Amino acid sequence: MSETRGAAFYLLAAFFALFVLFLYGPTLTVLILSFQGPGGGLTFPMNGVSTHWFGVLWQGLGVVDVWAAFGRSFRLGLIVTVLTVVISVLAGLAFRRRFVGSTLLFYTAIASLILPSIVVSLGIALEFRIFDDFVKAHGLLGDGFHSAMGLFTSALGAHLTWTLPFGLLVMFVVFNRFNPAYEEAARDLGATPWQTFRHVVLPIIAPYLIGVALFGFTLSWDEIARTSQTVGGPNTLPLELQGLTTTVTNPAIYALGTLTTAVSFLVIALTLGTGLYLRRRRLRGASDAGKGTL
Amino acid sequence: MSQRGGIAPYLQAAPLALVFLLFLVIPLAIIVMVSFWTYTDYSIQPAFEVQNYLDVFDRCIVRLPTLCTTFRTYLSTLTFCAIVWALTLVIGFTVAYFLAFEVRSPTVQSLLFLVCTIPFWTSNVIRMISWIPLLGRSGLVNQALIGLGLIDQPIEWLLYSSFSVTITFVHLFTFFMVVPIYNSMLRIDRSLIEAARDAGASGWQILWNVIVPLSKTGIAIGSIFVITIVMGDFITIGLMGGQQIASVGKTIQTEISYLQFPVAAANAVVLLGTVLLIIVGLTRVVDIRREL
Amino acid sequence: MTTSLKSGISRRTFLKTSAAAGAAAVGSGAVTGFPYVMAQEPVTLRYLGTAVNQSKEIAEKVKADLGITIEYVPVTTDEVTKRIITQPNTFDIVDTEYFSLKKLVPSGNLMGMDAKRIKEFDNITSVFTKGELDGKKIGDQGTAPWKVFYLAGNKSKEFSPTPTEWISLIPTTYNADTLGIRPDLIKRPIESWAELLNPEFKGKASILNIPSIGIMDAAMAVEASGAYKYPDKGNMTRDEIDMTIDKLIEAKQAGQFRALWSDFNESVNLMASGETVIQSMWSPAVTAVRAKGIDCVFQPLKEGYRAWASGFALPATLEGRKLDAAYEFVNWFLSGWAGAFLNRQGYYAAVLPTAQKEMATYEWAYWMEGKPAEQEIKSPMGDIIAPKGAVRDGGSFAQRMGSVACWNAVMDEDAYMVRKWNEFVAA
Repeated sequence: MSETRGAAFYLLAAFFALFVLFLYGPTLTVLILSFQGPGGGLTFPMNGVSTHWFGVLWQGLGVVDVWAAFGRSFRLGLIVTVLTVVISVLAGLAFRRRFVGSTLLFYTAIASLILPSIVVSLGIALEFRIFDDFVKAHGLLGDGFHSAMGLFTSALGAHLTWTLPFGLLVMFVVFNRFNPAYEEAARDLGATPWQTFRHVVLPIIAPYLIGVALFGFTLSWDEIARTSQTVGGPNTLPLELQGLTTTVTNPAIYALGTLTTAVSFLVIALTLGTGLYLRRRRLRGASDAGKGTL
Repeated sequence: MSQRGGIAPYLQAAPLALVFLLFLVIPLAIIVMVSFWTYTDYSIQPAFEVQNYLDVFDRCIVRLPTLCTTFRTYLSTLTFCAIVWALTLVIGFTVAYFLAFEVRSPTVQSLLFLVCTIPFWTSNVIRMISWIPLLGRSGLVNQALIGLGLIDQPIEWLLYSSFSVTITFVHLFTFFMVVPIYNSMLRIDRSLIEAARDAGASGWQILWNVIVPLSKTGIAIGSIFVITIVMGDFITIGLMGGQQIASVGKTIQTEISYLQFPVAAANAVVLLGTVLLIIVGLTRVVDIRREL
Repeated sequence: MTTSLKSGISRRTFLKTSAAAGAAAVGSGAVTGFPYVMAQEPVTLRYLGTAVNQSKEIAEKVKADLGITIEYVPVTTDEVTKRIITQPNTFDIVDTEYFSLKKLVPSGNLMGMDAKRIKEFDNITSVFTKGELDGKKIGDQGTAPWKVFYLAGNKSKEFSPTPTEWISLIPTTYNADTLGIRPDLIKRPIESWAELLNPEFKGKASILNIPSIGIMDAAMAVEASGAYKYPDKGNMTRDEIDMTIDKLIEAKQAGQFRALWSDFNESVNLMASGETVIQSMWSPAVTAVRAKGIDCVFQPLKEGYRAWASGFALPATLEGRKLDAAYEFVNWFLSGWAGAFLNRQGYYAAVLPTAQKEMATYEWAYWMEGKPAEQEIKSPMGDIIAPKGAVRDGGSFAQRMGSVACWNAVMDEDAYMVRKWNEFVAA
């Protein structure tokens, strides 16, 4: 690479800056409008400046308990994240070897990605409906049983069909670049498969796992189409927000947007800090196993 | 690659397979099955009829060359697909190139990358609503243009138009293009570029003959993301198109909300077929699995 | 009733002290007619519906009065019907519209409610029970509530043409819809539905993108223009559907519509930002635009209103303690406080006498009798929505509900209509 910054760099940097500006454009509108005066609406002009809507938000949006939905979405997001990481890593390991049905499984994952979300959602809803009817007809789970549908059954499954293909693709990228020599070295030194995984493979792929986790959480957090038919009882946050658009909506939802962005910055700063810390620790630990792949 | 097969890969792949079996394969089978059922206002009944498919393609052949609803809807969706794909590809590639080749410190790379992800954490619904004050008749853009004396009348086509739909798509999905391309670019061996330069290749030649071919996989994956999401979308097109632009997803959603599950399922099967055709076309160009 | 005893306490004071006085409130409930609440363990009702009727204030009041926790599940209009059909076990009470009953009741997912257990049943307005107002017949085109009000039995999948003990939906709110306009931008009187398709408003009109309702608004406009007279706008033949959709397509291709709207919020934003100046609209949406200080009128038109009504239904599987709690809640809803709350938003309560007791005389005069406001009129949230001297658009309850031309409906040719509507959207 050239030592001095060429014109291309500045041109591209400007392009990148414009792109970021474009990405943040609506976020900025949200930021500004969240400080609407108490009489203000969802659109310009501003009707005074206040933190009134943050107050409204704090009290749960005044209509329904938005914090409960926030909590549900957050818990679901975390579980989806953990499962996505674990299942993706396992599958990634599996795909490094040959096994019967691997091609089929791969194309199923791709299909999961390309299937229109609303179709997946409808299918899962119908499936649970049939299951419920079957269970009740046979009295399998007692009288109290109403439905197997719920946030952590059908909705969780729907979210996984969305996050797992992404996770799997990232793992493919990771493992195809992975140099098996490290593992062979570990094995030659007498490490068990678990030890090899824990002390050699995992540290090398760890940074990518953070990526998978971020992806998983973000996708789950924002999901509407796949959740809509499968959520069971109480809504996730995006569904709740969509439901709220059936009545008077006020800038408090912008306040929610601003808050989310602020929290995101915080989480990312923490993640990045952890990443840096891990790397420094690894470098200090005299192991340069992962260096080449980073 | 390790040669040892054994039972391990099956166990490792089992959770993934199980999730897909329960939440994808079975539901999909149910959908295909239901697409042949009949329905009334309130219920669906097992049957084997192709009437739903006939309804989907109602008068499509007899009315040619005038396009029927289904063809027109697909044409509109495919057009969006093509435009959005081209835009996200160009923008995504440029951004990824900048991040991968022009930014030197890995920390700065990660930082900039993360900065791009943050807007995605604000709920889609909120982000889409927020375009309206920006692009509306008395929105910021129009006010700014009028303020600068560039126009006297507000520009109408900024909002509730193909333009606003396109810009929102590009806004929402460019990043899905950036991620895989960026990943591919990081894998390119820098010595290849040095070698090309030493051999006297110009910047453009390096870009076209070295970097683009080696980023092909990333481009293909990004394209799959973007194309499939745009093909199945109904929320963005609905909201930003002022509900006046048809999309296949919206058609399916309307049918579902009127409880016409079988015809919705038939439409879904047709959509699925269309998307698969596009993807197969793409994988003809790039063998994703091998090149990942 | 509980509420009449408490009418001396203003809502504000009540809410302020409700946390501390929660137990006392339940106690007072015990004295005045809900003694069994105390003896039971706390119960939660999952309340499915659009966010329109789901006010936090109502949930808090129910908690204080009955000890029942209301857990709202707000969803979009389409979604309510869909969830009842596809996920019937995920809610304990649902607030839905009468017109969708034609799809819901035959599914067997809902149960008829026992009129004998509804205390105020005999006081429910005759709009629902007989289709009359002060002895005068109300327009019955479409799925009018009295056509689907009674069921043949508790778990019956059929409607009964004659009164029975089993009620499909216990009414909560209803209203008469018309066009909303921006008089400041139109600057001339608007008197007819035909104006919706008037080229004068090219690019500044909007219509509702909920097919079954949108097509009726279109039919009102077509009929008003003198092009065709429908025998029943709520149940068109295929030819009528074709003709109506063709008119819409013609208008769309000429650029008549700025956008179509599908939720409350969109309709408010369209009007408030001046993107549209005339559109089909809902009453509280007009109120919301006005609360922003923008001139907006819910314009009464000579052809009359398109009405809708919603009410409570229970899932067929509800039983035991939850079933009792659901009846308690419905009884509470009809006992006045909630009715007054809804009346103040521009809807109408199902049991008017109890709602009247909870409203100040000047409020009742403004909202229900069509008289000029003697004081500023405030929304339940405390926003001023009408200055002193203002008169409600469309006048009194009798004037508005008396001029209903048709009701929201599910047509026999529903599937065909939806397909044609998709054609309109795609055109």
